[in-house]
Amino acid sequence: MKDFCLPDLGEGLDEAEIISWHAGVGDHVVADQPLVSVETAKAIVEIPSPCSGHIAKRFGEPGDILKVGDPLVAFESGEREDAATVVGEIPAAPRAAPAVRRRARELGIDLAKITPTGIHGEITLHDLETGVAGLEQRGSVQLLRGPRRTMARNMAQARDQVVPATLHDDADVEHWTSDANPTICLAHGIAAACRAEPILNAWLDADRERLTIHHQVDLGIAVDTDQGLFVPVLRDIGNRADDDLRAGLERLETDVSARSIPPREMLGATITLSNFGMLGGRHAALVVLPPQVAILGAGRMAPRAVVANGEIVVHRLLPLSLTFDHRAVTGGEAARFLAAVKKALES
Amino acid sequence: MSELPLDPGATEDVGHFRVRRECFLDADGSVHGELPAFARDRSEVVGLYEAMLVTRAFDEKAVALQRTGRLGTFASSLGQEAVSVGVASAMGSDDVLVPSFRDQGAQLWRGVTMEELLLYWGGDERGSDFSGPRDDFPVNIPVASHVLHAAGVALAFKLRGEQRSAVCLFGDGATSKGDFYEALNLAGIWRLPAVFVINNNRWAISVPREAQTAAATLAQKAIAAGMEGVQVDGNDVFAVRHVVEAALARSASAPTLVEALTYRLGDHTTADDASRYRDDAQTSRHWKREPVARLKRYLTERFDWSKQEEEALLQSARERVEEAARRYLDMQALPATAMFDHLYEEPPKDVAIQRAEVAARSSQGERIDD
Amino acid sequence: MTDCTLVEAVRLALNHAMAHDERVVILGEDVGIDGGVFRATDGLWQRFGGERVRDTPLSEAAIAGVSVGLATQGFRPVAEIQFMGFVYPAIDQMVNHASRMRTRTRGRLSCPMVLRVPYGGGIRAPEHHSESTEAMFAHIPGLRVVVPSSPRKAYGLLLAAIADPDPVVFLEPKRIYRSIKEPLDDDGEPLPLDRCFVLREGSDLSIVTWGAMTVEALAAAEQLAAEGVSAEVIDAATLKPVDVDGIVASVEKTGRCVVVHEAAKSCGVGAEIAASIMERAFLSLLAPVERVTGYDTVMPLPRLESHYLPDTPRIADAARRSLSYS
Repeated sequence: MKDFCLPDLGEGLDEAEIISWHAGVGDHVVADQPLVSVETAKAIVEIPSPCSGHIAKRFGEPGDILKVGDPLVAFESGEREDAATVVGEIPAAPRAAPAVRRRARELGIDLAKITPTGIHGEITLHDLETGVAGLEQRGSVQLLRGPRRTMARNMAQARDQVVPATLHDDADVEHWTSDANPTICLAHGIAAACRAEPILNAWLDADRERLTIHHQVDLGIAVDTDQGLFVPVLRDIGNRADDDLRAGLERLETDVSARSIPPREMLGATITLSNFGMLGGRHAALVVLPPQVAILGAGRMAPRAVVANGEIVVHRLLPLSLTFDHRAVTGGEAARFLAAVKKALES
Repeated sequence: MSELPLDPGATEDVGHFRVRRECFLDADGSVHGELPAFARDRSEVVGLYEAMLVTRAFDEKAVALQRTGRLGTFASSLGQEAVSVGVASAMGSDDVLVPSFRDQGAQLWRGVTMEELLLYWGGDERGSDFSGPRDDFPVNIPVASHVLHAAGVALAFKLRGEQRSAVCLFGDGATSKGDFYEALNLAGIWRLPAVFVINNNRWAISVPREAQTAAATLAQKAIAAGMEGVQVDGNDVFAVRHVVEAALARSASAPTLVEALTYRLGDHTTADDASRYRDDAQTSRHWKREPVARLKRYLTERFDWSKQEEEALLQSARERVEEAARRYLDMQALPATAMFDHLYEEPPKDVAIQRAEVAARSSQGERIDD
Repeated sequence: MTDCTLVEAVRLALNHAMAHDERVVILGEDVGIDGGVFRATDGLWQRFGGERVRDTPLSEAAIAGVSVGLATQGFRPVAEIQFMGFVYPAIDQMVNHASRMRTRTRGRLSCPMVLRVPYGGGIRAPEHHSESTEAMFAHIPGLRVVVPSSPRKAYGLLLAAIADPDPVVFLEPKRIYRSIKEPLDDDGEPLPLDRCFVLREGSDLSIVTWGAMTVEALAAAEQLAAEGVSAEVIDAATLKPVDVDGIVASVEKTGRCVVVHEAAKSCGVGAEIAASIMERAFLSLLAPVERVTGYDTVMPLPRLESHYLPDTPRIADAARRSLSYS
């Protein structure tokens, strides 16, 4: 048998989750015929068969995660392989004390499906409660996969590295017309602020104690979907015209919904925008995603009482929150950046 | 027995003992001394004779039942009837008998029924729930352990100030056991109202009396306990009764050890074959000295015992025994649960649970002894 | 109410029983004018006289055998064997006769005697003076075996044993003869036989023990409490018959059990208790039943005795082993 292993699918992606098979064991496939769909960090990729042949074995089921280089399928070769092997497979009977077994019966749990954590190799009561079946008694259980899994890991990594600080402000956008696209306006504002304080458009490599200030602003835009959080990147926002930006943004949104966005479209953001105000909320302390050093949040635009020319008037305000990594950015730099954003939005 | 070579000038005699042996009616028919009053009374003598005949008939029947698979292992008292009848006939109804396993003659005299004896040897505990003598002890299988019980019973009488005595019967082998010595020692020092009777039939299964102890008599073992030991011709029912009566009369002030010399004419039990260790010639010689024939000769010579009377007595003895055997064989077996009853006054929970298990199994038709 | 040691409680119970029931008599070696080598019968000979408080010759078989005879005649003999190491000549009388008298005569004769025996180690005594062969008696149908663990238990259980219509072997743990003092009311109130007693309530683990080991078990429970473990301590008290219901109720609550006894491990009463728990509380068990016991060796002489006897650390370790499961 010849093994075909999970190929490298994109920059830095080291694993993928099997979504669905397109060929079964015993099937004959031809070269380039779709073999299996897998999901990497936030994108679904179809893998074609590298050759023609009969599928002898599939090394995973939908939901399984394989690392790049792990066997994916095995094709039958012409030769007979040595079939000598251990006769059968002797499953170890689950080890559990009588009271644990009784509880498992009460919960309708199959002990064979529980991973034991007892120091004697036994299944404990805790294992029952926190094993899948135990949990299913309490609510609906879902495995963290795809974007949620990625988010869990990235946020933990951020917490481990970043030293966050947050500034809040509000921009008076009373003058905005009805066809103004807040995201595009915010993009312009960020581009302007990056010209004013480029240090917030940078990547920090703390291990090497190195800061790379980018020439262009590639804006990561947080997109909320029913699958979870996606952050596609709108490239070079500082040098693009309005309608170009608009078209680019629409295309990103479409691709994200269709789950057809290529992985590379989600790599390389130099700074991030989270326009959470479309859903609700005012100010927030957001999470800076390393190696970036800043993230701007925009809350819900709402009419508020403000003082203008010594009088109280009602204007639409757009809440702004800037969280920055204080390892790289000073408070002054952050304050000036935010002031620049506000000024751009208010003009 | 040779003495230590000690200097006579430095030593003085500080102890002597004497053991007397009594016999009125010898094996050859001669009468010695003055017969006790009961021996001169025809009906008394007939009573003793009948008791011995009945005992012998009972033993014969029991052995036959054992050989036909209807009785368990049984110890016949063939040849020793005068000891058991003599001892029991000397006792008051208030006294307590503590027998060994070969004293059915005494038990029958005291009111234990033949069916009760058959039940016991047939393996049924009801046999020890005597209808007659309510205080008498049941048969004792372990050798000599009951001699201590007799001491305890005698102590009870003494503590209560009752004019009653405990009478214990055991064999020559028993006199080698520690329990025997301990009981005699206690009886001596506490002056217990007890009479200890050694049924010396010369054999402890296959061990002859000569191999049992170096003591010249078994009676003299009493001396060590500070009490009198007396021998008696155990095949002379008059002597046995007379000596035990005398011992009982003074038991309130002193216990007595009585060694009754007799001979085991049969096997140790139905599980024994005496021909393996003793020769028939010796046994034949002892048949000439056996107690029933001896008394019959006396009855005939002294009281004109007739052939008809003899036949009638034998017949009635046989009938009694047959009747008892019939009743025994017809008796309903105890239920399996009986083993739990009377274990304690109130069965504790664990016993009650097990009893219920057995009850359930029995009611489903599974008999425990199948 | 006065403060009493265990041996004083024994004496009080004997005194009370003798004063209220003329059938009660005491016999044994040195129990009379000397008041017993442990003073358990101190003063009784003076009060009740030599007929009822009787010094016997040196004859353990006789002490037990005479008691059997007395008991069949309606007396309530309380016989003392000086040390458990010397009880063996009396075993014949207890096993072959005392235990069976009632059943073999269908209740016609019975044997309401008590055999009192100081037992157990921990007092650095000479050879043969530290025995704990309770299992020999606990195995015999028709007997009862009772072990007090405190002065109050000794008083109440001995009164119950004397009043019981069947033979009782009353094993007195001499290690705690004098080391525990409790206020005791000489009110003649018996404690129930065939029942265990909860000495300390708990929810995580059941420690079952008796006699002098209750002291170690309670100390272990204190230690475990400091570690956040709530141990229930049960005094079995009657070893024959064991109160299986009471023990099972505790194990159903906690799911874990440690049995502690001085006596050697193999075929000890702990094995009986463990088997009973397995039969009756199997589905409640979170861990195997642990036994902390004397080793299967001859009781060593004083210098090694402390290594033999179960102590608080061994009991606590067994508890932790039990808690490591499930």
